[in-house]
Amino acid sequence: MTYALPTLWFDGRNPRARPARIQLQGDDLLVHCEDDLAPRRYPLSGVRWPERRSHGQRQTDLPDGSLLQHADSVEWDRWWAAQGLQEPTVVGWMQSWHATFVAMAGTVAMLAVAWVWGVPLLSSTLAHLVPYSVESTIGRQGLEQLDRLFLAPSALPQAEQEAVRNRFATTLQRAFPDGRLPRWQLSFHASQALGANAFALPGGYIVVTDELVQLLRDQPDAMTGVLAHELGHVEHRHGLDLMVRASLVSAMVGVVLGDASGFLASVPATLLTQAYSRDAEREADEFAAFTLDRAGVSPAVMVSFFERLQRQGPARPGGATQEGEPGAGKGSGLPIAISSHPDIEERIGFFRNWRQPHAGR
Amino acid sequence: MQQHDDFALNGPLQPQAPATGVLQTLPIRFTGSGSEYFRIWIVNLLLTLVTLTLYWPFARARRMAYFQNNTLIGDDPLGFHADPWKMFRGYLVVLVLGIFYWAVTRFLPAFGWFALLAVAALWPLLWRASLHFRLRNTSWRGVRLDFAGDTRGAYLALLPFFAPALALVFLVPPVADDTAVAPELARGAAMAAGLVTLVFALATPWLLLRLKRYQHGGYAFTQERTRLQVRTRSFYALYAKAGALTVASMLAVVALVFLLMFAVMGMGQREALESLSRPGAAAGGMVAVLVLGLGLLYLLIPLLTLPYITARFQNLLWSGTASAHLRFQSRLRFRDLLRVTVVNWLLIIVTLGLFWPFAKVRSTRIRLQAMAVQVDGRVDDWLARAQAAGRGVLGDAAGDFLGIDMGL
Repeated sequence: MTYALPTLWFDGRNPRARPARIQLQGDDLLVHCEDDLAPRRYPLSGVRWPERRSHGQRQTDLPDGSLLQHADSVEWDRWWAAQGLQEPTVVGWMQSWHATFVAMAGTVAMLAVAWVWGVPLLSSTLAHLVPYSVESTIGRQGLEQLDRLFLAPSALPQAEQEAVRNRFATTLQRAFPDGRLPRWQLSFHASQALGANAFALPGGYIVVTDELVQLLRDQPDAMTGVLAHELGHVEHRHGLDLMVRASLVSAMVGVVLGDASGFLASVPATLLTQAYSRDAEREADEFAAFTLDRAGVSPAVMVSFFERLQRQGPARPGGATQEGEPGAGKGSGLPIAISSHPDIEERIGFFRNWRQPHAGR
Repeated sequence: MQQHDDFALNGPLQPQAPATGVLQTLPIRFTGSGSEYFRIWIVNLLLTLVTLTLYWPFARARRMAYFQNNTLIGDDPLGFHADPWKMFRGYLVVLVLGIFYWAVTRFLPAFGWFALLAVAALWPLLWRASLHFRLRNTSWRGVRLDFAGDTRGAYLALLPFFAPALALVFLVPPVADDTAVAPELARGAAMAAGLVTLVFALATPWLLLRLKRYQHGGYAFTQERTRLQVRTRSFYALYAKAGALTVASMLAVVALVFLLMFAVMGMGQREALESLSRPGAAAGGMVAVLVLGLGLLYLLIPLLTLPYITARFQNLLWSGTASAHLRFQSRLRFRDLLRVTVVNWLLIIVTLGLFWPFAKVRSTRIRLQAMAVQVDGRVDDWLARAQAAGRGVLGDAAGDFLGIDMGL
């Protein structure tokens, strides 16, 4: 059954092809060059066979560094199949379209699982593992940087700042009498670049702009709601969480596209990260509504805040890209797929209808 | 035409038979198929995901073998012989280093300089080791290629690239607490940063040329060792042209966005007259056009400039690469590469990425088939020089550290 195959042999030192016949004998591969008296003998365990493919020449590595090279893949496959050798399962999959489609379905399923459960689980676990001191350092450094770029000292009177702070603290006390809350530190800054805005940084640093305080001067409860939203980001450690997620997502896209130009890969990575960011905003909204409700304030007070943002919306450029500001609804011209925040109508609806699902309690 | 190779060789390279004057041109062909690579890719991808990327080096070894076995120089393909397990070790090294660097820069930005310093100290070593690994595991006609560049050369070629980052770290003082920064100090820091950026931008083509001289000056096959003969001037000229093309395409896109915006504004006015109920519509439209324009800018500019730089760079580098009896030729036309790239990108987007392996095969084919090797004399009579087995522990441990692809 095992016949000799005429092929080419290279000795590994001289780039000259030598015609040879190869044949299996017991546990050995015999390579008999035309101008040699005796065949060379190689134990099969040291031979590295090529993988079966329909394109490309077949090369076999022999233990002494020499090489067999065969141009006709059909001829090679026929000979190899006759030897009764075992080929790796994976190679078979790659030659079958059926297996390829199964693998494709499996890949999509894997990616979906990673997207829905894997990445969030891993990133929130990691974010909660980071010690508070490290988190607070990151937040402080971020704040210093923002301070240099966008923020100016607040022009609000001390008394007004204190009033906002105290009202927030009192509300929290009423909502969570047992006091299990993350540390937070509220500061006020004037900022032309950011406009009416608030954001939270890792470590519990919450920043509110003078412009936002002025916008909500007659709506102190809405102001408290905005602060509760930011505290929600702190509670869920969204700053670190999203940072880890962004890295995981770009790593995932990198794996899928292999060495694709980093440029093409950056587009899906950005879109996917923004989707996570919208989820984080929803979680923070949830926290804000919950806090207001427990403190005896109707979450619907937030509606007027969003309506005001919407009204002054498109007139002002988007400005901030910092995560966590509830005010980014002003980018209402953006298609939802690339916005970092959920649709503002959706958020209004959320706060307006908050009580219904929890009315029974 | 043949230039005499008279630079100092390190190692036991002997000049071989004198030039015979019998020139033979070996065309380079690529016989890979998109649909077959698609199947390889998808199975590799699944295994890589299931194993949390640990399968990646094995997938890469298979991919390299596929591309090289389908690359014919004359009638003989390139071989790829790397042991995937060695690549696996290299992959673990890069994984650990990468996570370390990522964690330090993200979580401890104050110690970023330390991570940078560590990477700067290790990178040239690993880069040379992986070039070495890559070449040593590639063969043609049964003879392994080699990389003859030394470690010192790698440091000299690569370290300047870390200089600006380190300079910025040390020249620009970190701002302490929330005390207001003295304006003259801030201005000084900004000027230092600007100066470093400017000097680096001007020096980049020269630094890159040095890097390529080192890399293309280290390729070896039998007794042949290549060197890169490219003038600094032509490198700068290529950079200037690429820069000009970038600016021109940017202007074109900006003009397009303005045109669109005017059109939308006109429409918005008419709409406002018809229905006064939605005054925000025009502004919303404007924002949409602006976003669209930025998206175009983001997509169009690299779509034009990347193929241009790729084509011209490949021609310049490979046409300048020669040894005593070997000379590469590359005549890749920008127009052809642009056509292939545009179709590739469009189909990748339309198929949500599934076209990617086909695109890879298409662009590899057009890039490789534009090349040829000119040989002086009979290759059959050449003799490989003895290769010392396992030069250094790192060479194997680092393995295929950077996943270097040479476009050949």
